[in-house]
Amino acid sequence: MATVSNLLKVKGKDVWTVQSGTQVKDTLRLMAEKNIGAVLVLDGAKIVGVFSERDYARHAARRESMLLNDPVDDFMTRAVFYVSPSQTVEEVMALMTSKHIRHLPVLEDEQLVGVISIGDVVKKLMDEKETTIQGLENYILGRDFSH
Amino acid sequence: MAMVKDLLEEKFTQVWYVTPTSTIGDALKLMAEQQIGAVLVVEAGRIVGVFSERDFARKAVQAEISMATQVGELMAHPVYYVTPEQSVESCMALMTQKRFRHLPVLDQGKLVGVISIGDVVKQIILEKDQTIQSLEDYIWVHMI
Repeated sequence: MATVSNLLKVKGKDVWTVQSGTQVKDTLRLMAEKNIGAVLVLDGAKIVGVFSERDYARHAARRESMLLNDPVDDFMTRAVFYVSPSQTVEEVMALMTSKHIRHLPVLEDEQLVGVISIGDVVKKLMDEKETTIQGLENYILGRDFSH
Repeated sequence: MAMVKDLLEEKFTQVWYVTPTSTIGDALKLMAEQQIGAVLVVEAGRIVGVFSERDFARKAVQAEISMATQVGELMAHPVYYVTPEQSVESCMALMTQKRFRHLPVLDQGKLVGVISIGDVVKQIILEKDQTIQSLEDYIWVHMI
């Protein structure tokens, strides 16, 4: 069973973050430059929230304003779910589906070691199932051929 | 192998749209109310674009826009679409390659629904699980 740690090995440990107090416009520029949908907001080394395209769109709609000069802290989602490197891909998929979240920070000994996305998780799950199918087919064919 | 129409039958999909002259503010409010990430942009019965949270977040720092800016200025186009007879796998390939989360479904030019990456992934995982199940059954019955 694949784990979060297997996923991080494939995708690397790039994590895009901004510091608490960063203006919305600078945060959006980083997201555009890196072509990502969400960034973690840190206070020093501590994670204090996640700011996503969705957070931005929802708050802009409610306030009827572009919000570009406001600090990202005002609009980030504060309840951040985490996973650990040893958790299975299935567990992570269940968490993401039930909470409707697309990104999860990975913490090891309270240190941020990566972020995984729903896309990474789905791809891994599908690859695993494909490998299982291949293995079963080979088993069936192998037995038949040996007769 | 499941087709797009099988997905549409499973759930009634209400399609939300705005027009090119709608304001960004109104489009974003609709998306917030309906809890959706993107809306279609329709003009004279024809789909002319898609406007998503991503389009908004990207353009907000690339251009001078406000809540009063018209959707037509920010929408993405052309719009990729699928047909009811297409395989779910081909949708997955298109969505992955183009990084789309939604695809409109057109039947002879008429909009009949929208499918999301979530629907597509769920269906493909289900099919793989069924394949695994039937291979395992085969082994139990014939080989053990």
